[in-house]
Amino acid sequence: MNHLAIDNLTFAYTPKHPTLKDVALKIPVDSWTLFYGASGSGKSTLMRLLAGLLPKYGGRILQGNIELPNGLTVAMMFQDPGMQFALDTPQHELEFALENLQLPANKMPARIEHALKFCGIEHLRDRQLATMSGGEQQRAALAVLVAMDTDILLLDEPFASIDNHNRTLLIQQLTLLQQKYHKTIIVADHDLHGYRGLAKQIIHFENQRAQLLDAAASDALLQSADQLAATVHHVKLPTASDQPILTLKKVVIEHGDQKLIMANDFSFFKNQTTLLTGATGTGKSSLFKAITHLAAYQGTIVYNDQDSQKIKPRRYAQQVGYVFQHAVDQFLSVTVKEELALSLKKGRNPYFDEDHLAAALKLLDLNKLQDRVVYSLSGGQQKKLQLLLMLMMGQPVLLLDEPFSGLDLHSLHNVVDLIKASQKVYPQTMIIISHQLEGLEKLIDRHVKLADCQLSYREEF
Amino acid sequence: MNPSFKLLLVLIIALEVSFTRHLTINLVLVAVAIIYLLTKRIRPRLFGWLFLMPLFPAIAVFITIAWFSPGHDYFYAWVLFSRIYVYVFTGAAITQTTSPLELTRSLEQNLHLPSKFAYGTLAAVNLIPRIKMAVKTIRAAGQMRGINLSWWSPMLYFKAILHAITWSDQLAQAMESHGYVEDRARTSVHQIALTARDWSILIISIILIQIITFALP
Amino acid sequence: MAKKNNKFHLRDIILLALVGIIFGVIYWAAAFMYNALTIVFTPLKLPMMGNDLTMGLWCMAGPMAGFMLKKPGAPFLGEFLGAAGEALIGDQWGAANLISGAVQGVASELGFTFTGYKHYDWLGAVSTTITTTIVTFAWDWFRNGYNKFGFKNVYYFSGRLLSMFFFCGVLVMLIERLLERSHVMKREEFND
Repeated sequence: MNHLAIDNLTFAYTPKHPTLKDVALKIPVDSWTLFYGASGSGKSTLMRLLAGLLPKYGGRILQGNIELPNGLTVAMMFQDPGMQFALDTPQHELEFALENLQLPANKMPARIEHALKFCGIEHLRDRQLATMSGGEQQRAALAVLVAMDTDILLLDEPFASIDNHNRTLLIQQLTLLQQKYHKTIIVADHDLHGYRGLAKQIIHFENQRAQLLDAAASDALLQSADQLAATVHHVKLPTASDQPILTLKKVVIEHGDQKLIMANDFSFFKNQTTLLTGATGTGKSSLFKAITHLAAYQGTIVYNDQDSQKIKPRRYAQQVGYVFQHAVDQFLSVTVKEELALSLKKGRNPYFDEDHLAAALKLLDLNKLQDRVVYSLSGGQQKKLQLLLMLMMGQPVLLLDEPFSGLDLHSLHNVVDLIKASQKVYPQTMIIISHQLEGLEKLIDRHVKLADCQLSYREEF
Repeated sequence: MNPSFKLLLVLIIALEVSFTRHLTINLVLVAVAIIYLLTKRIRPRLFGWLFLMPLFPAIAVFITIAWFSPGHDYFYAWVLFSRIYVYVFTGAAITQTTSPLELTRSLEQNLHLPSKFAYGTLAAVNLIPRIKMAVKTIRAAGQMRGINLSWWSPMLYFKAILHAITWSDQLAQAMESHGYVEDRARTSVHQIALTARDWSILIISIILIQIITFALP
Repeated sequence: MAKKNNKFHLRDIILLALVGIIFGVIYWAAAFMYNALTIVFTPLKLPMMGNDLTMGLWCMAGPMAGFMLKKPGAPFLGEFLGAAGEALIGDQWGAANLISGAVQGVASELGFTFTGYKHYDWLGAVSTTITTTIVTFAWDWFRNGYNKFGFKNVYYFSGRLLSMFFFCGVLVMLIERLLERSHVMKREEFND
């Protein structure tokens, strides 16, 4: 057998709601395959099934089965780079993995050397994993798989939080693993740009199904992804009449020992919606964490002419709101109704009176979900609810970290309409990090790009 | 000394001083622990911290016994005061000289602790920075919604436990993906030696402690 | 009900250690309470009251683990692995913590044993409150000189019982209710 056979598979985490339905696929070994689809479409689920982690860790196969070629080993690399190590340093994690495989001790050093060298991280071997960047962590994770000499490598959104440099390095190493060592490589991603010429086949996940695309369809998808990434929108630069609301003075933000952002005198302006872009891993989220005092920084962040550190935390939290990247981090209660009640009680955005709130819920398709547990909502529903809850709070400044990820285009337009309607009644300063740019033209007033540790205003995005 | 045996010795000491009231042995143990730490070149600042950190509870116990208890037993007050320092300095004699991984490996190899307990706990320990960050984020999420989540707030614990549930799931899967199988034999890259010397140190130490405790005033 | 699996797997162990560590982290954030209470109660000639009134906060991981996993051994492991975790990172109380962790673990475990591991409800909460109070008090009888306190032990014991009831009973039940309502511990949705 020279392929991974998925035969008429139906899998569900909860009864009656299959995540994958009647999936039939043959994934060839010794090749590179892409799993493509929106978040929540089942890519990650199929990977975990292939890795043997499911149904052991939840859910049930309701029908069909999965067969791997005899004797081939499988290992997985995960989306959250920091959440895949049991030990503290790459060296120790490599030792741990090889001990698990019952490799004799005298064979370990050579394997470890080879893996570290292959991934170019010899200099990081004794560094604390917790202080490394996402990109370095993913390279350490790949080193473990290389040392284990796994035949099938499953990578679940491995580039989601890493910088371009490390992404390029990883892709080179993976290509080498595939071509020279004949490994089977499967990568899941929701964004196809940059994969042209790499993947032999694309499997598209949608509506609980997964289908192998033919060559023409694959090529069209890859091409349009690259085109979309190159689409340009125009915005204005700041004008003399713009009033600064947040100013970074001699600010330096670091992660571990890596400098992310250096800003000598940089302002965000009042009542504007500013898009913040930059390659993944450059430190956009770190900037938000610094502004909200969740992460340490050097220098001064001035809010409304006052050193933000001199404002009482409780009062500052009423001035600057943070819409977290992970929607569940925003939730405090159990049901949708309770969450709404909390924001209604404490919120100060005058736009959200009873009628407008009811209309907003309907617009976002949340009106029939009032009794649902927030943690059981789909990713998209969680994102919409999260945004609504924070809009209702009405902080003068709102920082939004990937507020549109996982939303389909229809939902995205509705969310943008809601923000615009609220802003008309109650202007707010918004800074938005988003990799999704399509559909945002009418929302964005200014664009700031983060590159080479510097923030600068740009005329196009 | 073998890390497991060091731990064993310190546990025996802690248990023994908990059930005896003997000032001399407490002082001797503190002195020995300090000398041991000095030979291991521990930073002087740490000594200051080790001394100051338990001072408050130690004083509380002292004055309770010396001033506010029926017997006004000053001797016993000093015993309890010094006992706290026995715990702290002997404890430091392990934690400052043995890395978590060495201890884990030793417990796995020498005392045959099931590897799932050893590495499961170690994996959790390595998440401590994340746990602290998560607690901070939860409190910020609360403040931004107009509520202050204090240490007696169920919501704070609930949210933190939700993280723990997700993380335990992710970590266990990641460890399995790195070849870990529960209850299956593993090889060891570093053999942690358990020598006759370790046995002698353990036994002689225990005997010496008994002699001081029961033969000296 | 389907036959329950009483074995602890890797995931359970990581979870219990994490829960123990989380409670430890929050406890240390509230450690000033110990000092503040001690200062308040010293003029009242009850300096140990700070110890007794904060003791409940120290012992929450055990009952919480019991309520979460509903398996024999979970309360002990929740309390003990948390302490072990703190000892591993070089917490200054190190080894002494390990022993207190074991004592507290046994203490909260007993509460569930006495109710036959069937009462993950108020009865279980009250039961574990009582066993934890008695066992930890007995431990302090030797370790912290409570044998010398005479009649003041009535106050100390009451203070500790109150603290245990609030933290290990009421607060743990409130957290458990939130977890229960959000269905996050139902790892096996298909078990009926």
